[in-house]
Amino acid sequence: MADTATLKASHGLWVIVVTFIIAALLLVMPLPDSMEYYRPEWVALVVIYWAMALPHRFGLISAWVLGFFVDVLGGSLLGLNGLVLSLVTYMALSLYQRLRMFTMLQQASTIFILVGLHQLVSFWVLTVSNQNTSPNLMFLISALTSAIIWPLVFYSLRYLRRSFRVV
Amino acid sequence: MALVLVSIVLMFADNRFGYLSQVRYYASYSVTPIHYLSSLPQAVSQRVGNVFKGRDELLAENRLLQEELLMQQYQLQKFDHLTAENQRLNELLNASAIVDDIVVRAQLVGESPDPFKKQVLINKGSIHGVYEGQPVLDADGLFGQVVMIEPYYSWVQLITDAQHSTPVQINRNGIRAVVSGTQGSQHVMVLNNITANTDIVEGDMLVTSGLGQRFPAGYRVGVITDIVRDPGQPFALVRVAPTARLDSSRNLLLVF
Repeated sequence: MADTATLKASHGLWVIVVTFIIAALLLVMPLPDSMEYYRPEWVALVVIYWAMALPHRFGLISAWVLGFFVDVLGGSLLGLNGLVLSLVTYMALSLYQRLRMFTMLQQASTIFILVGLHQLVSFWVLTVSNQNTSPNLMFLISALTSAIIWPLVFYSLRYLRRSFRVV
Repeated sequence: MALVLVSIVLMFADNRFGYLSQVRYYASYSVTPIHYLSSLPQAVSQRVGNVFKGRDELLAENRLLQEELLMQQYQLQKFDHLTAENQRLNELLNASAIVDDIVVRAQLVGESPDPFKKQVLINKGSIHGVYEGQPVLDADGLFGQVVMIEPYYSWVQLITDAQHSTPVQINRNGIRAVVSGTQGSQHVMVLNNITANTDIVEGDMLVTSGLGQRFPAGYRVGVITDIVRDPGQPFALVRVAPTARLDSSRNLLLVF
């Protein structure tokens, strides 16, 4: 019995890993300077999806470790993305039952708030650590683009999850 | 809660003491493939573009480059003479000799995901001998300095980053000053603490002064674009446009 449970627990892990690698690629993909503001928070979106779809598998520690690598990848303050991603995961984990029932519009607006909080907390931390160089509230734009792109992320990840039977 | 604490301790240690540069260095081995993958389309398109270039196009380019080379060689002749003369004069003044710098080519492969941070990724890292604080140039002037090193890549902070300042002097009269980057996505710098009666005019060229022991002296940094002398303010507001093409250069030079 215990054996089947562990077998199940590691089922389709590579699908999750691959989605995160794709999210990391999208995160560092070069964009024109004027488009940089509008880049959605890909990693946060994928984190929210997995926390919502597999709350028993994707927890705070996985989110934190992932955030650590995002920091290394983007050259930002070590621990910053760990903090904000585990915060987002915490909220997604406490909301997942409602999120699943929501219509796409409701989901997208929840995403807007979650990613907005993600941005706001990193903004605060950067201000406290004297590394903040944003002169205005433009950093919140990416919350909006994240909410707009959410349906696409959601349906494609769900398609992946269903076709590879990740449970 | 514990995770939040761990994050805060980590961030504090990283920000204040720099204990974690080793941790970051070794962890960055794991993200090297991602940097590589994300720079792949650029490399492939360049190579494919080279393969499919027509013969006429290559011939035209070749002719253009040869003409350019001729002009540059002509200028270099004069320059050689001037360098020698300069060295002699410096010896007369008992000043230390000017050493030629060694430069190594690097290519820009990525930008910081944070749109408010003016940092770029280059394809040379610690295994190529890159060190922290190393000056980076492009063909037209000072580009930035290396701030974070990975085994195969390193991060370069541009001279227009809000957290970057460069010691400079005005080429025309040798007045020393410090030029700092500004917030926002525009590549603009400002000269700090310039009194209203300082002898500067629009169009003055700024070069690195060599003070601060970080940038070698004599590299072009920027051109003064406008000066606002407000009688109510103790200092004039002096805007500087960088000479390096910070938003478009792909081929960079690392100074050793």
